[in-house]
Amino acid sequence: MDFAFDADQQLLKNAARSFLDERCTSAVVRGLWDDPRGESEAMWKDMAQLGWLGLSLPETYGGSALGMVETAILLDEMGRAAYPGPYLPTVLAAHAIAAAGTAAQKNRWLPAIATGGARATIALADADLSWDPAATTTRAEKTGAGWRLSGVKQFVAWAHVADALLVPARTPDGLTLFIVEPAAGGLALKPLTSIDLGTRWTSITLDGVTVGADAVLGAPGTAELLLGDLLRRGAVAAAAEMLGAARRCLDMSVGYAKVREQFGQPIGSFQAIRHKCAEMLVSVENSHAAVYYAAWALDAKADDAALAASVAKSYVSEAARHVCGEAIQVHGGIGFTWEYDLHLYMKRAKALEPMYGDADWHRELILRRVA
Amino acid sequence: MDLRYSPDDLAFRDTTRRWFEANVPTAELKTLAEKREWHRTLFAAGFVGMGWPREYGGQAASALRQAVVADEMARVNAPATINGLGIGIVGPTIIHHGTEAQKQRYLKKILAADELWCQLYSEPNAGSDLASLKTRAEDKGDHFEVNGQKIWTSYGAISDWGLLLARSDTAVAKHRGISCFLINIHQPGVDVRPLKQVTGNQEFCEVFMTGARVEKSDLVGRLGQGWEIAQTTLSYERGGNSLARVTRYASAFHALVKAARGLRRAGQPLIDDPLVRAKLGRIYAELEVQRYASLRVLSALDKGEGPGAASSITKLSYSEFEKRYFELALEILGPYGQVTAGLPDALSTRVSASSGHGETWAYAYLWSRAGTIYSGSSEIQKNVIGERVLGLPKETRADRVK
Repeated sequence: MDFAFDADQQLLKNAARSFLDERCTSAVVRGLWDDPRGESEAMWKDMAQLGWLGLSLPETYGGSALGMVETAILLDEMGRAAYPGPYLPTVLAAHAIAAAGTAAQKNRWLPAIATGGARATIALADADLSWDPAATTTRAEKTGAGWRLSGVKQFVAWAHVADALLVPARTPDGLTLFIVEPAAGGLALKPLTSIDLGTRWTSITLDGVTVGADAVLGAPGTAELLLGDLLRRGAVAAAAEMLGAARRCLDMSVGYAKVREQFGQPIGSFQAIRHKCAEMLVSVENSHAAVYYAAWALDAKADDAALAASVAKSYVSEAARHVCGEAIQVHGGIGFTWEYDLHLYMKRAKALEPMYGDADWHRELILRRVA
Repeated sequence: MDLRYSPDDLAFRDTTRRWFEANVPTAELKTLAEKREWHRTLFAAGFVGMGWPREYGGQAASALRQAVVADEMARVNAPATINGLGIGIVGPTIIHHGTEAQKQRYLKKILAADELWCQLYSEPNAGSDLASLKTRAEDKGDHFEVNGQKIWTSYGAISDWGLLLARSDTAVAKHRGISCFLINIHQPGVDVRPLKQVTGNQEFCEVFMTGARVEKSDLVGRLGQGWEIAQTTLSYERGGNSLARVTRYASAFHALVKAARGLRRAGQPLIDDPLVRAKLGRIYAELEVQRYASLRVLSALDKGEGPGAASSITKLSYSEFEKRYFELALEILGPYGQVTAGLPDALSTRVSASSGHGETWAYAYLWSRAGTIYSGSSEIQKNVIGERVLGLPKETRADRVK
């Protein structure tokens, strides 16, 4: 029984911290807000060099065959840096291809992703924003040579830079995942601008998008279990990133409370502020336990892995929002300015809150499992 | 990171589980003699004082194994050992700070529950500000004479001895004038009176000491070292009960689900009401987070990393959760949650509250108010976290100028 990171995991965490501290400063993050792509190609290539993009992929495809714990360690650090880019959706899509893809699909996509040559995403939510795969309304009909897809996908992360879009659709055989490439005819992408300018969402309309038979990931009708797994991984990944954002807000608050003086003393000496910081720490430490327990449970294929993923997402969604919000309160007016960096992390946590199922949805999943 | 139990720990858990399933008392233990007998059965089986060093009758067991035993006891609702404070606080205090004569005189009798112990710390005017305690211990040459009043004394009514904090020097700064003593409760100068709480039960006592006698040989540590000793004893027990606590929360949760299936409102079982489901889901999520956090603390303890001030995070976290838990439970149950007698069948399952008693929902709800006050209130925990974990500046305090 050891809840601490092992030596390799700690090294990974330290390396991620150094890299992001140097390369993903708040100035860099702010500089990408007006960029049409919203991410840095150079940073992406460097992340590939560091082995982050193939972190959990099989070694035969250029990966390191590590697990969800290591992925969570990186996302935790990315949340801390409010990293803008398609890391989370790309590793999630890559996991799906590795888990269910044909040899040809794996050969086509996995080495490209691991080396930084391709980005990917998954369009999980349909027009009605249900996260239940069974509620998928997008349809795929068989054509002579392949399939024709119709439907609407909402809030797809980083679709505008993706080379591969994973699209779940209902077919006569059952739920099926398709790999759709952006050049496909009938595909319309509409960007959504939201409060976190380092998160990019897209509405996707599939108006009779035609794809070949080889666009089916694995076999038709086999996506239901895989989608459940992807949602759980997405939930834990998002929770990890929210955790990093929350801890950054806590650290900034504690640092500020030590130096900011009012009434002739540091505000951290007042119980009103100190107690707030203590409550924030409890939320952050509990979130840490929830995120890494869930990540470990997925890696270990533990009986309670699905439960733990929902626990992590529901708990951290609220905890991170609370911590980031209280950070603004601790800072007072300065924390409410555009120039101060707190809102980068606060908005990142907020952006991830509804993704891969919000707290209410995951609480319902929890109850279905235990009651 | 690896959260699996080692094969040895797993085997230990299985053996422990089988032992408790075979030996847990089937009827409620009513008399002190029955409770003492159960304690001795547990001691003979190796489940009492497990964390104590071997030379004093313990097994130097890891925090994880102690937690496993407590957890298995909670699983089958086994009654607690009768000498919890003796085992958890007093014994370790004597082991760390006591004289050889004190060790010989007291430790074996604590383990065997031949002598039961209480802790005489809090006073009516010294709660959060414990160091302002006023009970005096005066040096009378061949003994100390103690005068003062203690309150919130758990097990006071059945105790033979008390671990006492009293002021032995009024001329020095308040933290430095306190000494730690062992005091015999059975003497004319000590009057123990039960204290009834909002639960209606009498789990605590008030203890009045008037010209009470403490032998010179029963001073623990040096004169004036009492505060320091009290600080270290507070941390002995952290973590050992954490898994058991979550197991009790979980068994109460399953009783709550059962009740929500059995009770109907607006033409449907409560369990079908989305608002009720949301509350139940919230409780279970938080309960699991408590479990994960416990495992994290236990794994650190197992590696010899004392939790130190971070144990305040655990205490603050679970006690505040417990209040939210039973508030939500009573929202779900409506007025039934407040009933103490005459409950319908759906609600007849006794709830295993954190006090360790099987009780009603009403009791568990009321008892949940205690957790954020005892052993350092939530406000004190937040001060500790702020100052010692986060390194925030200390507040200006009138009593620091001395």
